[in-house]
Amino acid sequence: MKKNVIAMILVGGKGTRLKELTKDTAKPAVSFGAKYRLIDFTLSNISNSDIDTVGVVTQYEPYNLMHYIGSGNSWDLDVVEGGIHFLTPFSKKGSMKWQRGTAHAIRQYFNFITEYNADYVLILSGDHVYKMDYNAMLSSHCEHNADLTVATTRVKKEEAHRFGIFNMDEEGFARSFKEKPSKPNSTLASMGIYLFNVDVLKNLLLEICGEDDVDFGKNVIPAAIDNAYKVHLHVFGDYWRDVGTVDSLFYANMDMLDHPELLNLNQSKDKPVYSRSYNLPPHLVGDEATIRHSVIADGADIQGNVWRSTVGYETVIESGATIKDSVIFPNVRIGSDVLLKRVIVNRNVVIPDGFKLEAKRPTLIDVGDVGRGDSDE
Amino acid sequence: MNDLFMIVDGTAKGMFSKMTRHRMPGALPFGAKYRLIDFTLSNCRNSGIRNVAIFPYGNYRSLADHIGSGDRWDLNRRRDGIFILPPKNLSLTIENAISFQRMYEHIEHFRRSTQSYVIVSPANIVWNVDYNVFLDHHQKAEADITEILGPKRKRLKTFIVSKDFLLAYVKKYNQISYRNLADVFDYAPGIKRNLYTYENMCYLIDEPKQYYRANRRLLEYDVRRQLFVKDRPILSKETMSAPARYGDDAYVINSVIASGAYIEGNVENSVIGRKVHVAKEAVVRDSVVMNQSVIEQGAAVSYAVLDKESHVTEHATVSGHSDELFIAEKRQIVTTGNHLNVLQITAECFPFVKTGGMADVVGSLAEQLSKIGVHSEVMMPLYPAIKEKYHLLLKERAMQKITYGDETYPVTLHVYDDKITNYYFLESYAFFDRDDKIYGYGDDGDRFAFFSKAAVAFLDAVDEMPDIIHIHDWHMGLVPLLLKRQDMNKNISTLLTIHNIEYQGIHESIIAERLQIADEIPVGGTMNFLELGINHADKISTVSETYRDELKYEYYSKNLMDAINRRDRDFYGILNGLSQDVDPKDDLDIQSPYDQKDVFEKKPLNKHDLQTRMNIKTGDDMFVIGMVTRIAEQKGFDIIIPALREFLSDEHTEFVLLGTGDDDYVRKLKTLEDLYPDRVALNIGYDATKPTYIYAGADVFLMPSRYEPCGIGQMIALRYGTIPIVRQTGGLNDTIEHFNVTTRRGNGFKFYNYDVESLRFQLENTKKIFDNHGDAWKQLISNAMRSRFSFETTTKAYHDLYNVIVAE
Repeated sequence: MKKNVIAMILVGGKGTRLKELTKDTAKPAVSFGAKYRLIDFTLSNISNSDIDTVGVVTQYEPYNLMHYIGSGNSWDLDVVEGGIHFLTPFSKKGSMKWQRGTAHAIRQYFNFITEYNADYVLILSGDHVYKMDYNAMLSSHCEHNADLTVATTRVKKEEAHRFGIFNMDEEGFARSFKEKPSKPNSTLASMGIYLFNVDVLKNLLLEICGEDDVDFGKNVIPAAIDNAYKVHLHVFGDYWRDVGTVDSLFYANMDMLDHPELLNLNQSKDKPVYSRSYNLPPHLVGDEATIRHSVIADGADIQGNVWRSTVGYETVIESGATIKDSVIFPNVRIGSDVLLKRVIVNRNVVIPDGFKLEAKRPTLIDVGDVGRGDSDE
Repeated sequence: MNDLFMIVDGTAKGMFSKMTRHRMPGALPFGAKYRLIDFTLSNCRNSGIRNVAIFPYGNYRSLADHIGSGDRWDLNRRRDGIFILPPKNLSLTIENAISFQRMYEHIEHFRRSTQSYVIVSPANIVWNVDYNVFLDHHQKAEADITEILGPKRKRLKTFIVSKDFLLAYVKKYNQISYRNLADVFDYAPGIKRNLYTYENMCYLIDEPKQYYRANRRLLEYDVRRQLFVKDRPILSKETMSAPARYGDDAYVINSVIASGAYIEGNVENSVIGRKVHVAKEAVVRDSVVMNQSVIEQGAAVSYAVLDKESHVTEHATVSGHSDELFIAEKRQIVTTGNHLNVLQITAECFPFVKTGGMADVVGSLAEQLSKIGVHSEVMMPLYPAIKEKYHLLLKERAMQKITYGDETYPVTLHVYDDKITNYYFLESYAFFDRDDKIYGYGDDGDRFAFFSKAAVAFLDAVDEMPDIIHIHDWHMGLVPLLLKRQDMNKNISTLLTIHNIEYQGIHESIIAERLQIADEIPVGGTMNFLELGINHADKISTVSETYRDELKYEYYSKNLMDAINRRDRDFYGILNGLSQDVDPKDDLDIQSPYDQKDVFEKKPLNKHDLQTRMNIKTGDDMFVIGMVTRIAEQKGFDIIIPALREFLSDEHTEFVLLGTGDDDYVRKLKTLEDLYPDRVALNIGYDATKPTYIYAGADVFLMPSRYEPCGIGQMIALRYGTIPIVRQTGGLNDTIEHFNVTTRRGNGFKFYNYDVESLRFQLENTKKIFDNHGDAWKQLISNAMRSRFSFETTTKAYHDLYNVIVAE
């Protein structure tokens, strides 16, 4: 069946900078905002953009993520023709084709793209927090008669060196591109979201780039500019965060608390963010609890104090405990009279009674630091 | 795989009033994020049952929407699965439990089911159970029928039987006097009964207080532990909402909050549904707030149940108390502070003039509304009798000439202010200066058409322009239309209360021409005043919930069925209450006044007095049936006379009746008196003494009406501890709960089928308990006397409805 656009989500990265949060789970399966996982944003964007065919390219610890996504029905992606496909790496006879980079993964699964006879391929990342209508990008792509379009966003000048930076001409096309430049001459950063005409992608991946050119940012985009393809830059103006580090994950959670209008998660009419529902009872607030400026997921049991924090589902906070400026993942147990400030507490962690930690910078607390409870799945 | 299939009994409507206007009880939201039926369906899934049939009554759209394909409960199967089996016979009115007749309509489903046992359980029960435990118990007991009881032996309408046993009853449903499994359990001879008592958290929810209490209990740790079991999850339709968000000044304690809620204000001891917004400085205490409701800034809500999407406006105060909850219906806008002006326009009003129960309702309502702060007024014709009695108190306020047809007539507005309520009287010599009777003239149509026109014309002369005009019965049926035609731009809403649909005011359509509204009348010889009222009033009500539901069926509403059904969304049922003045303690006309404390001592004295007065055999062991009634077809005399002829052959039965009416029935009743002269006594005709000696002295009060919009006799009987035997219709159904000897709940006896056999069966059943279960009978008397149907409750219900109308 012919599809206009198919989406490929790259979730292969190990996310080493997220430390223990990804020790047994792929980065996109990391929790966010009390009840979400990072992948929810990308899958919801796809669903809200009426794209119904998705390849999820996995490599590192895929089980958790596959289990979480299931048939895709939570995102309305369980359609008969199309739907969600998991594309895991394989080796061919005679060659070791373990995926080595983002582009390499797509190259290995090019027959998935040709099977659906798509006109456009949308390449996405599974670990960004944002709400975006990909159709706006597609319209812009078509209006500019582009060969490929890269979504970009304005970043702060002092942070530009951490991104891939474009120079844009007056018509909205890329003049040049540099990955993590030491002296950035622009603040227009690549979001790692690419829309290709399918033949352009094929040509770039299978003809122009070599076997070892394995990364979109490092290899493919520069090659496209060098080969005089029309690389259009779509400037996205809304909230977007790549949460590749403990700090950025922490601050994105705080953004969500302090500026609810940025992601607007509480309104559900227009472009809701979907998530798998676990059928948990509503959360309970006890007699001595205080909760301010926070979000609390289902199944939680709050007896203590929660200020400017997110509390994941089935997490228990005992009386006398005080949680400030923190991100508590699901299925955590926080004992009585605990004091926590500016921390991320990983899944299944049990914080013993009386434990105190007021961190200066965002700090991850994991099982190894304190102890472990029952696993949640 | 197990050998059990499930029949979900969704046929009962319960006593929810507003909450189930647009849904069946099983579809009620519960516990912040569930619907009641989630518990039954999840129990099925967790018990491995894969064949589930739901028998819904009436409006099951919201249920069907919730269930979808059933895959949430693993019930989307190739073989078996979930079935919704609606009623096929639309003239079947609502019963309290699923009948064999309903099952017979879908007998194919039973034949096709491969499992050998069936569990029948309601859609509105909250518990977390493994049904296999019940099945084991049933099999071990080698019983024919097992009934599951809850804590305190409360009946749960839950039974286990074999499929063959059930089918035997279903197949011959029209030849037996048992309508459902409860009847079989209670009365069928020669079967082996088994009881299983379930002691954990369990609520069969069939009225708002139960609903509220069960919700509140979710705040208890122990209850949550019994209800939300990890291995047996309660599953609900998957919906998506963000985690609950708390604002900077939120203050929440001891509450259950669903996802999507946004709490900026205070919440205490409450259950808050999905996507509810509690704005800053708003306070919600001891309440249940359903999905998507909004409590605006500064509002205060306590002891309330707010249905889905209700909206409490800024600084509004909504407060019930633990005995009398405030209930907002779905999408209601709740406001306070605006002072309501209500004008009732009526043909009669107690104490000025009265021919029937309607006058009592209008009079009590006018008075009670004033007491709760409504500016209450009444407008009615000035009948000569009123002028005679009140002329010194009446003040002339205004005069106008009213054109009607080709003539013009002078009309004078008089006002009587009793310091609480304003009463307005319109005086017209041409139309209302007649003899002592107030209706029954050849030109009644013209009289009330003219009055309606005059009433609308005089609105400018009343003290306060009304927000609501509340009209009663057909007499004022033209007011809403005339009001619209006058185009006064005054923003007045109208409520029509139907006290009895039999009286419609069908008159010649020349009247429409005289009022210049002929274009509104279908071509033909006549016009129907009540129908025009139904079509044009903003809201319509009638005098009980059940009568409201019955009027959807042609058997009850006849020619007006279509008109009623078109207005279904705007049609309400509000039960008439009984004045607190009716009290056997203060009754000086009876031999020995009494209350709950000394009833067992004093009632025999009154019984003896009754037997003596009526000149029938005396004796405590006599079973005395009393009736105080109009003698008319409606009251059930077609079945009463033959049933009594048989029943009275028992030497220990007596029958006394006070009433007037149809000569034909009176003659037949007299043959009973001739047959059993020392045990039957009739007091026919006008009796100047109050009839309370019958209420005080009889053991049971018979009221097997064919239809009964509300009924008052049964409520008086209850206060006097005299046990009503009624047919399950209209207000009788809403006031009487069938007594059960095992659980000792209920305040009377009722039967469903309008036939001699069913009435006789119920008389015999009642006498059996009277004769053999003395303790149970005493309990029954206490239950009866504790029943409360006060007019305060009625007034509050009307007041709530006025607020709904004004907010729209």
